[in-house]
Amino acid sequence: MSKKTVNIPLGSQHISLLEPIRFKFTCENEKIIGIDSDVGFVHRGVEKACASKFKFDAIGYVVARICGLCAITHSLSYTMAVESMLEGEVSKRAQYLRVLMVELDRLHSHMLCLSHVSENAGFEAMFMRIMGDREPVMDLQEALSGNRVQFDYVSIGGVNRDIESDVAVKVKETLKELRLKVEDYISEFENNWSLSLRYKGIGALSQEDAYRFNTIGPLARATGIKTDVRAESSMLPYGDIGFEMVTKDGGDIYARNMVRLYEMLNSISMCENIIDAMPEGEIFTKLKGKPSGEIVTRLEAPRGELMYYVKGSGKPILDRVRIKTPTFSSIPAFMHIFEGQEYADAPAILASFDPCMSCTAK
Amino acid sequence: MFDLKKYRKKSPWILHYNAGSCNGCDIEILAALSPKYDLERFGVINTGNPKQSDIFLVTGPVTYRSRERLVELYTQMPSPKVVVAVGSCTCTGGVFREMYNVEDGIDRYIPVDVYIPGCAVTPELIIDGVVQALDILENKTKELEDAKKLYKKPTEKEGVLNLRDSALKVGEDEED
Repeated sequence: MSKKTVNIPLGSQHISLLEPIRFKFTCENEKIIGIDSDVGFVHRGVEKACASKFKFDAIGYVVARICGLCAITHSLSYTMAVESMLEGEVSKRAQYLRVLMVELDRLHSHMLCLSHVSENAGFEAMFMRIMGDREPVMDLQEALSGNRVQFDYVSIGGVNRDIESDVAVKVKETLKELRLKVEDYISEFENNWSLSLRYKGIGALSQEDAYRFNTIGPLARATGIKTDVRAESSMLPYGDIGFEMVTKDGGDIYARNMVRLYEMLNSISMCENIIDAMPEGEIFTKLKGKPSGEIVTRLEAPRGELMYYVKGSGKPILDRVRIKTPTFSSIPAFMHIFEGQEYADAPAILASFDPCMSCTAK
Repeated sequence: MFDLKKYRKKSPWILHYNAGSCNGCDIEILAALSPKYDLERFGVINTGNPKQSDIFLVTGPVTYRSRERLVELYTQMPSPKVVVAVGSCTCTGGVFREMYNVEDGIDRYIPVDVYIPGCAVTPELIIDGVVQALDILENKTKELEDAKKLYKKPTEKEGVLNLRDSALKVGEDEED
């Protein structure tokens, strides 16, 4: 029995997966010794279409359709790239509104991930509870932008909707309630027997390996690496609204959960600060001209660093749009973590990565 | 004996497949199944097994590689089955229409019963679509039972059984 290996496929259609990805695990008894992954099921060819089919002012809405979970970060990265090529100045109020939407998006994305993680621990009640508590955040997004998921909020030169005073009050009320709930989750994720049994020490990544595989986002921050585009870049006013880096040690699923939970607390206080310190002014300035030259922008998506490269030559149709998404950069680390783990932990480990295949395959 | 068709309407099971969507509609399906909208209170359960499912929820514009899996999942589902296209890009290709790796909607490959437009669809629309799908599912169940009425009773004429014209054409009345 000892030398016999078994091949087990996971995906491309599976109950614990939201999207098509296929893993092929080679198992010896219960242990995973080899892994092969296939991520290209949802490749649509967005990059090619951006450089041939759509004009530059429409692409902000096209790239938002790459991913439904981090739609705002995609369109915002592209818009910021075009704005710097057009050398336009965006008003401070529009910048603040953009950050508000990005942080609300991060809140609901992290909540979705945490609910999946608790579902994979067999804690169905926690899954339902977090999904239920996620709805107020979706309502806020609807109140602010008019749509729950694909809010086309950002446009070149500003944002499409201003915040009403009653909506601002609603945002503060909802976030105040949400803060209490998140504090509740923290104690639950720290102390609950089934969650900690399932997650402490499982799926661990050491700090050296995290450096070696160049991991980003919560996956890297859970190993103690201080990497966050929000702290490194000055394109968005994160310094003024109280951004704090969250890092944990250990690199296991438990540490990743904790990073996400404390990041949610930080996002909530940032949103509250934004509402308190909202500057007056126009939300939209018209920018003229066609983009020319090339530029790279970076933005912290819920899963890590999102990078856009845009090249134009003064024509309405761009020469090249290159998108490097967070999940794609983390795949080598994923494969490394799986080796040596029990097969039964595979769905839980996968959920803790919070992978986004539509981002990866584009 | 179990009356299967009765329970099929009471508690239809859903199979969900992502054929290249942006996850927007998928998280809305998840939201429709979770506490605020709670499709599960109607007995609707999300299952991963095509052989136990009645309603096929498809999201995404069908990419080149997912089409085989789409058709395979559809053929593995037992009749009667209903296909619901969730989202604009599933119905027509949407914003992805005519991109090089996209097949412009699922109705090129499998028959669709309910189209739900929207980018992304709201959970209310998904619930409405599933409720409409239930009616279609019931009609399909009846059609399956009616299939044996394609044959009418052999007629007797002058002591000789006429078996030849026993097959009734579709749409023809039984009386004439």
